[in-house]
Amino acid sequence: MIGLSRATFTERWPLFTGAALTVCLGVALVQSSLLVLISAATLPVPAGLDPAARAAFVDGSSTAVTLSALTLAFSAFLAVFIVSSTFAFTVAQRRQELALLRLVGADRGAVRRLLVGEAVLLAVVGTAAGIPVGIAATRFQSGLLAGLGMVPAGFTAEWRSWILGVSAGVGIGVSLAGVLVAARRAGRVRPLEALRDTGGSARVMTAARWGAGVVFAAGAAALVIIAPVGGAAGGQAMAANAALCLAVALSALSPLLVPAVARLVPTRGPIGELAVAALGDGVRRSAAIAAPVIVLVGLVLAQAGMLTSTAAAGEAEQRRTTAGELVLDARGPVGDRVTDLPGVAWASTETVLPLAVTWGSGDDVESDDGQALVVDPAAYATAHPGSDAVAALHGRVAVAGPGSGGGSPGDTVGVRVGDSDLGPLPIVAEVPDAISDGADLLLTADSVPAAELAAAPSRTLVALAPGADRDAVVAALSAIGPVSTVADRIAADAAGRDATTVAVFIVIMGLGGVYALIGVVNAVVIGTAPRPAEFATARLSGLTRGQVVRAALLESAVVTTVGLVLGGVAAGASFVATLAVTSRMTGTPTLVLPWDLIGALAAGLYLVTALTSTLTTWSATRRAPVALLGAAT
Amino acid sequence: MVPVTTTTLAGAHPGTTPVAAAVALRGITRTYGDGPTAVRAVDGVDLAFPRATWTAVMGPSGSGKSTLLHCAAGLERVDSGQVLLGDTDITDASDDELAALRRERIGFVFQGYHLVGALTAAQNVALPLRLAGRRPPRAEVHAALAMVGLGDRARHRPRELSGGQQQRVAIARAMVTRPEVLFADEPTGALDSTSARTVLDLLGAMAARGQSIIMVTHDPAAAARAGAVVFLRDGRVVDRLVGAGAHDVANRLVGLER
Repeated sequence: MIGLSRATFTERWPLFTGAALTVCLGVALVQSSLLVLISAATLPVPAGLDPAARAAFVDGSSTAVTLSALTLAFSAFLAVFIVSSTFAFTVAQRRQELALLRLVGADRGAVRRLLVGEAVLLAVVGTAAGIPVGIAATRFQSGLLAGLGMVPAGFTAEWRSWILGVSAGVGIGVSLAGVLVAARRAGRVRPLEALRDTGGSARVMTAARWGAGVVFAAGAAALVIIAPVGGAAGGQAMAANAALCLAVALSALSPLLVPAVARLVPTRGPIGELAVAALGDGVRRSAAIAAPVIVLVGLVLAQAGMLTSTAAAGEAEQRRTTAGELVLDARGPVGDRVTDLPGVAWASTETVLPLAVTWGSGDDVESDDGQALVVDPAAYATAHPGSDAVAALHGRVAVAGPGSGGGSPGDTVGVRVGDSDLGPLPIVAEVPDAISDGADLLLTADSVPAAELAAAPSRTLVALAPGADRDAVVAALSAIGPVSTVADRIAADAAGRDATTVAVFIVIMGLGGVYALIGVVNAVVIGTAPRPAEFATARLSGLTRGQVVRAALLESAVVTTVGLVLGGVAAGASFVATLAVTSRMTGTPTLVLPWDLIGALAAGLYLVTALTSTLTTWSATRRAPVALLGAAT
Repeated sequence: MVPVTTTTLAGAHPGTTPVAAAVALRGITRTYGDGPTAVRAVDGVDLAFPRATWTAVMGPSGSGKSTLLHCAAGLERVDSGQVLLGDTDITDASDDELAALRRERIGFVFQGYHLVGALTAAQNVALPLRLAGRRPPRAEVHAALAMVGLGDRARHRPRELSGGQQQRVAIARAMVTRPEVLFADEPTGALDSTSARTVLDLLGAMAARGQSIIMVTHDPAAAARAGAVVFLRDGRVVDRLVGAGAHDVANRLVGLER
């Protein structure tokens, strides 16, 4: 049977190459993300750093760990999704050939064994190619992380030899997972199907597709409903997963949805009619092309929309929860010097210290890094409307801050700030969580050694007294440190966060997005491979070669449009969740869509599918139509 | 020539023949669709195809002759009745049992050749044996190709062969397993008259050597080459001829189409 596979390969190389390519890139992506994650997680802290630099390093590398973990999850999902949909599509495309094998006596098991054997071969080839590609991808990803400042300069992802085993497992695992269901179904192909002139006559909406569609749609609905109770981080994760679930559901239902939505796309003339008819007739092909488009668009829009919306909600929240006109940056608790200045109504100095919180005792100790803010409770409550709970802060206790990593009221946690161990402190109250994050614990100056405090950076929010001479106050403050307005500061913070958002987005989605795009190209190529006879018939009916190419181009444009629409619907799940999360966190439902990105993504997808479709159709119509029809059987 | 033993609608009992027929159909029906649009393609057919005989099945378009052939070969399930291949009742055979039958006991030739385009002529011929888990000796495959006059085309792919040559490769593939019965569905339907004659000569030679052949055709000239001709109309057996010439067969067919 290997001889048969080998012979089939020379005949149908686009199918096999496409399948091996998806395995190769999937393996490369997962291997690379895993290596970067492991390296980021085991990054040793350089010796001889001062506490602040050390805290910055720890903070940076923990961000890198989170990002690489997300990248890994996204890569793994894409690898499974793209490989299995490509494998299923290649098997579906060969249905008539498999029926012929059944006709000459292959039983179900033989067909299954043939397909599984081929999948293993493709997996081995794909994995062997994927490992070196993965090494290049690792270099690219760690360079990207370093270039965007997500890891300390000089970060390199280290090679681990066990990764070879993981990559082989991933390659063969996703290939087998992808082919098993398709092979089982192909084994049941009826021998008589070989006698029909048109292949792919099988029912496309299988029970498995219905099942997956319904289960994942229900999962998406559940995630949208519970997202608001997840807090800032949990809510975002659930919103992203809601889009992912809905994208999978819509892909599963795409044989139903793609023709239905395509009917709404206006087309005119015989070429348009032909394109829409071909799309409906080749529903398996349309669905296979639409599926990676739906997933790519759904995930990219969901992630980007969520990041921009959260950033916008965070900025609005900061404006609402920050009073005062001016901000002074200085070192240590400069509050008294500021309040003594003429024209100052009140001032709240907040000194920032790196924080390590520990829970539990003995062997069962957990610790978390974060940020502590040393504040004057009364001034803090004035400067941050809505934080009245901070009034409970006095002496050697802590209040849970707007960040969420410090613990909850009632906990007693071990607290370390900078180089000083403050011992166990009870958490007595909490101020509302902020969507824009912030300090995890609020402390008083009583808890922290004066030397530690004096060396730490502080910011002081300053409100002017009525009728005060603003310029004079600014001049006086400038003697202590740099001064800016609160509005400018919030805008600058937001801009900084936006830059980080873009960087995060590129790290998580960059390579994965390219992979999904290649999945789309693959589906177009695999879908066109068996169509020369169909094109030849169209040309014998009077169409020119150019018209056939245009009809195929129009068809792929319509499928892309449908994919974009359904991807948008999938992302919609995360938008609904984002509205609910921002509403619960900040009181104002916020949704800001990154239209630049949406435009660029749509343009890119149209360009890629149009180019692929034109090239493959042009090549499939190279031979004279009569010659092709002769060889059709 | 051995005559067709059972022909009439009510039918004699094929089981009473001294040697089991190559294929026997007992009251089989096959209906497509349901409700008012239902079409009874095969309607209570009792028929025995004797061994070592070439039987042609004729009828106007839509008379159910292809369905009859598919049912007889186990490619299509019957709604009622019984299908016997030799002594084996294949009416309720499992899918895998039917696949094994196709590998070992029956061969097919179709109008559209249905060769695997990626494989050479020799690989196509070897395929049923390979599927049966055998590694066929080169000589065995070559002999099958030589029998159809294509010993020198072993390494050609189907698209490099003419229609007649492809059909002869298909016959070699069907015969390589030495099947009890060869089913042929319009084997000359897509061929020019010269190629058709070559194919019919081949079938005739095989029948003369004792091969049981059941052939569906609408070509009276092809049917006249067979030992017996069964006529179908509206899914029922309506007539039979033994040893008739093409002219008689054509007349009978025209009579049915009126």
